[in-house]
Amino acid sequence: MNSSRKKPKSRAKWQNIIMLFTLALLFISALPNLYRDRIKIELTPINVTSAPVALEQLSKTLTVHNISFEKIHVSKASSTIELSNKIDEIPLMTILSNEFNESYLIDSFTENNTPNWLKTLDAKPIKLGLDLSGGVLFVLDVDTEQALTERLKNIALDIKAVARENRIRGANVAENITENGSQNITVNLINASKQQSKTLFSKIKKTYPELIQKQDDNNQRVLSYPRQQIVEFRQETMKQTLKTMRGRIEELGITEAVTIQQGKNNIRIELPGVHDPEEARRIIGATASLDFYQLAEHSNATGIIRMPDETGRKLTLNSKVVFSGSNIKNARAGQDEMGMPLVNLTLDAIGGNKMSTFSRQNIGKPMVTVFSEFYKNSNNKTVKKSKVINVATIQQHLGKQFSITNMSSPQAAQELSLLLRAGSLTAPVTIVKQRTIEATLGVNNIANGVKALSVGIAFTLIFMALWYRSLGVIANFALALNLISLLGLMSLLPGAVLTLPGIAGLVLTIGMAVDTNVIIFERIKEELKRGRKMLPAIESGYQSAFSTILDANITTMITGIILYSIGYGPVKGFALILCLGILTSMFTGVFVSKALTNLAIRANKSQLLGIKL
Amino acid sequence: MKHLHLENRKPLTKLRITSFYFAILFVIVALLGLFTRGVELGLDFTGGYLTEFSTEQSIGQEQMSKLLTEYLPDNFTVTSADKGTHWSVRQADMSINLPGKVWLNDFAQQNNLNITPQDAIYIGSQVGEELINQGGLALLAAIVTVLMYLSLRFEWRLAAGAVAALFHDVIIVLGVFAWLGLSFDLTILASLLAIIGYSLNDSIIVGDKIRELMKTCKDESIAQLIDKAIKLTLVRTLITSGTTLATILAIWFFAGESLSGFSIALFTGILVGTFSSIAISATIPQLLGLTADYYINKKEEEICLLP
Repeated sequence: MNSSRKKPKSRAKWQNIIMLFTLALLFISALPNLYRDRIKIELTPINVTSAPVALEQLSKTLTVHNISFEKIHVSKASSTIELSNKIDEIPLMTILSNEFNESYLIDSFTENNTPNWLKTLDAKPIKLGLDLSGGVLFVLDVDTEQALTERLKNIALDIKAVARENRIRGANVAENITENGSQNITVNLINASKQQSKTLFSKIKKTYPELIQKQDDNNQRVLSYPRQQIVEFRQETMKQTLKTMRGRIEELGITEAVTIQQGKNNIRIELPGVHDPEEARRIIGATASLDFYQLAEHSNATGIIRMPDETGRKLTLNSKVVFSGSNIKNARAGQDEMGMPLVNLTLDAIGGNKMSTFSRQNIGKPMVTVFSEFYKNSNNKTVKKSKVINVATIQQHLGKQFSITNMSSPQAAQELSLLLRAGSLTAPVTIVKQRTIEATLGVNNIANGVKALSVGIAFTLIFMALWYRSLGVIANFALALNLISLLGLMSLLPGAVLTLPGIAGLVLTIGMAVDTNVIIFERIKEELKRGRKMLPAIESGYQSAFSTILDANITTMITGIILYSIGYGPVKGFALILCLGILTSMFTGVFVSKALTNLAIRANKSQLLGIKL
Repeated sequence: MKHLHLENRKPLTKLRITSFYFAILFVIVALLGLFTRGVELGLDFTGGYLTEFSTEQSIGQEQMSKLLTEYLPDNFTVTSADKGTHWSVRQADMSINLPGKVWLNDFAQQNNLNITPQDAIYIGSQVGEELINQGGLALLAAIVTVLMYLSLRFEWRLAAGAVAALFHDVIIVLGVFAWLGLSFDLTILASLLAIIGYSLNDSIIVGDKIRELMKTCKDESIAQLIDKAIKLTLVRTLITSGTTLATILAIWFFAGESLSGFSIALFTGILVGTFSSIAISATIPQLLGLTADYYINKKEEEICLLP
């Protein structure tokens, strides 16, 4: 409130330096957006002595076929067409080859004229959303049958263990697939007494109440899921897989992807801003799952699996899974007090219980992490491939949260945590279709959108300049800086994706920035009305408006952050733009425009940009 | 601007109270629409049918979209792939009477296109049930946090006013969508977010001014103070809302079909947001019994502001 208090000059100087530095940084980050990929088609005469296609001829061809182009360049050796839209590339290639194929070589290439110094800084333009520039489409097949098989396998193992506990010898437990494709478990107790088998089956009934038990003959029972249960199981698996895929995409910070169920067993994923399917494949991550096993004590005990670890050492594992990747809620790489790399794990309630019981009984013993990946072999059958990725010793009784120590390097910890986060798929997933998709909004729609926004911004700028005169000019300058800073900030974030509604949101954050300036200017006017002189009025206007602006923006920021953390898709994208917009509008609207005003006043103490004070 | 026609104080208070009752009326009308008609949820929420086909010739996205508009009934989205030869059309569940490849043959014949049908299959929604629940929870969390922050910074009655105005704005925008039968998709949901931002912003600017006047002018009634605060912030409110509304109008008129729902949501949202910042967020504290001497203990000597 007190305007007469003078700040030390050096502090103001430092503020200015930091401000300039930030602006420069954001400006450089925003620069790559100026340079977009350009599609060029080149026609070179096959016969070196003949002349290249004339400019008039090419432009006539293009106009006839209604294809827009940036420019046509004809040199001595060849003629080059620069296209406005990528979508015209293929049709034009066909047209040209029909017309000129006999005597010309036709070649298309993509050129990006980003200057080299910018490339070395690794600055990248903002990713554009599915509506503006398309992306990559994946259709994943979720093998729910296989998931059911895995589930039955585990149940069979469990039954074997129960049989052993009850000292039933020669229990024959097998999972089968019948001719009509349904799956079941047969339990054959040859050597068991009536009493023993009765206890066993009632125990199974208790643990797996959903299983139907059918007496086959005297010694054998068939256990199977009722149809309703299988349908539910499939739906549950699909839901869980969908959730995991969404989680993985979100984990990478991509806000505007589409992930939906398609048909009964497929998942459709559309990723924006990626044009290379291989890159996208990496983003979706290995279609993998994780399981945690106990190391078997006796290598000849029943129910073991043998598996080599990374070094080739043969490990024997107790075939019952302690808990699986689907129980992992989160995994982060970190360091212990000694600076040794480790991975911190958080399990869900079910996994926590399993781990608690297991670790209490197995302190000091090793636990093995097995990574399995599914792929389709040449017969189009899903095949499982497993490998041991980690062997860790249980140090103490563990619960929901624990860490895997003994990691060889921080990189290894990082990679394991990524795998653990990504590994919570219960059903085998394979990619059945992948394809590059084009922008959902047509070229004209995009052009119209951009036009609309330019009109909006232009109106705002003109209004501000007319209404507030010299202060308005400063405000406009701050607004322009705000836009550049916001673009720069968004380019810095790898996951921020710009869609058409997103651009509109961007323009609306300009509304917020205008508001910041308007509040300040109105405050200055108020101070003037109270009889203050221009300079102290400006000083006190900026100062006392700040608390108002802070309150208003912090509240909006709170909602923005909460909606960002829980929202999905466009809501998340929008929340991100909103939050970043608030940050930049506070920065440019308050600090930068203040510095600009001071600068303008210092240059000429009696007037502000030509207007007398 | 400062001397509009609001010189007389009493009419302004009356106007405020009247518009507060109007605001309640609007909310009731909006709720009526929401409960009787409901909001027509878009493809993002309902899921629907996906038809995939390929064309022999490469066709522009806009051209195909135009052809389909003439043929298919309601909202659909079309995506092209493989250089405009592979097409995916997504329709909402309502068009279930046109399932599968049947309509495709008709469409191909009518437009003389050489179409190879590929797939006609059910697709799920973009927003799962758990996301809707989570979203509701998030909104609730956001509102509670905002309420807490504002109570801390201001006074609980001012905070309550801001949050009530927020509800008013969101409910009315939803009501407009219900009454007009517009399709509500994820983008509209995102625009609700912007509306929340604007609404809070407006309420806080007015609330801040009320707080400031309460600290400085002690011998006036709360009604007078609120009127004065509204008058002092009116120019700001009009400029900010005005420039923003102008931008949105530009989007509405020039950007075409693809952003029309979005601009309708924002336009109504900001319009009612401006209204509610005066009618609700400034009036509720008074109705809840905020007194002018609330800040009397906090000594801040300064001259009373001239209106």
